[in-house]
Amino acid sequence: MAEPDFEAQLSRMFAEPPSFPDAALFNAEMAAKLDRGWAMRRMFIGGAGVAAGLFAAFQILTTRFSSEVSQLSRESGHNIQTEIDAGIAKFNSVLTTPASAEALWLAAGLAVVALAFAVTRAVEEL
Amino acid sequence: MGMERPPTGHDVELAALAAAGDRRAYGELVRRHGSTVRGLLRRLGADSASADDLAQDAFMAGFEQVADYRGEGTFGAWIKKIAARLYLKKVRRDARLIFSDNAEPVEEVMVRDASGDAASRIDLDEALKALSRGERLCVSLCYGADWSHAEAAEALNIPIGTVKSHVKRGLDKLRAKLARPEEGARREAHG
Repeated sequence: MAEPDFEAQLSRMFAEPPSFPDAALFNAEMAAKLDRGWAMRRMFIGGAGVAAGLFAAFQILTTRFSSEVSQLSRESGHNIQTEIDAGIAKFNSVLTTPASAEALWLAAGLAVVALAFAVTRAVEEL
Repeated sequence: MGMERPPTGHDVELAALAAAGDRRAYGELVRRHGSTVRGLLRRLGADSASADDLAQDAFMAGFEQVADYRGEGTFGAWIKKIAARLYLKKVRRDARLIFSDNAEPVEEVMVRDASGDAASRIDLDEALKALSRGERLCVSLCYGADWSHAEAAEALNIPIGTVKSHVKRGLDKLRAKLARPEEGARREAHG
């Protein structure tokens, strides 16, 4: 048999994969492995995000934020406590108005639905 | 939740979906090329259990790198390259990669059919067992994983001349093994 013919024949033989009776099992194991890897990645990203968020919040609270707030407060001549009281009073007035209370409850309901959706997706992914 | 149909399409499209995080698309690529990769690893010399473990590792590594595959060459060739590199890494780690010009065959093949005729059909996987480890590796890399002699030499860290001589001797042995069925058939036709 001529060399090029034999090499072509050999390449064809190599290109033909052997048949594996447990191919379905191999595919299922791979799918499970991919899912596990994906879940681990999501948990890692989520964990890293929470850690970074906490660190950032801690940094903001312990360094610039509190001093800037008090600085702003001083410059504007308003007392923070007064502002907070005014905010609470406004919030109470919103709650006591029937139409506004309905809107608030509707928003809360939507938020609960959105949270439930997010939890369901997260459970499906895991 | 009903049964979802597996994704369809060309390998390049599935790879693009997989790069966007679609695990089902990648699962379809595994289904299409799983046997090829498992077969290649066995032909390179891995035992069944190691071959399957390495095939899984290769596909996992492929999923991590699938964004790098942009359709230059076939997906099959791309994933086979990853698998072959993982195999070489493993044999190097296990210090089992020994190249010797006088290396003995891994296993001498003597295939006989029911009538005891030595010219019975020998398939590639059986014929490869007649090659030394180095010959088998070089032949399988160059013809099974489509590597050039230079690529194989670089990956194996041996001179290209050594790769060529292993390939030549391996081809000679394979030719002799694989030619037997044809000779047998000719003898039957004439006799």
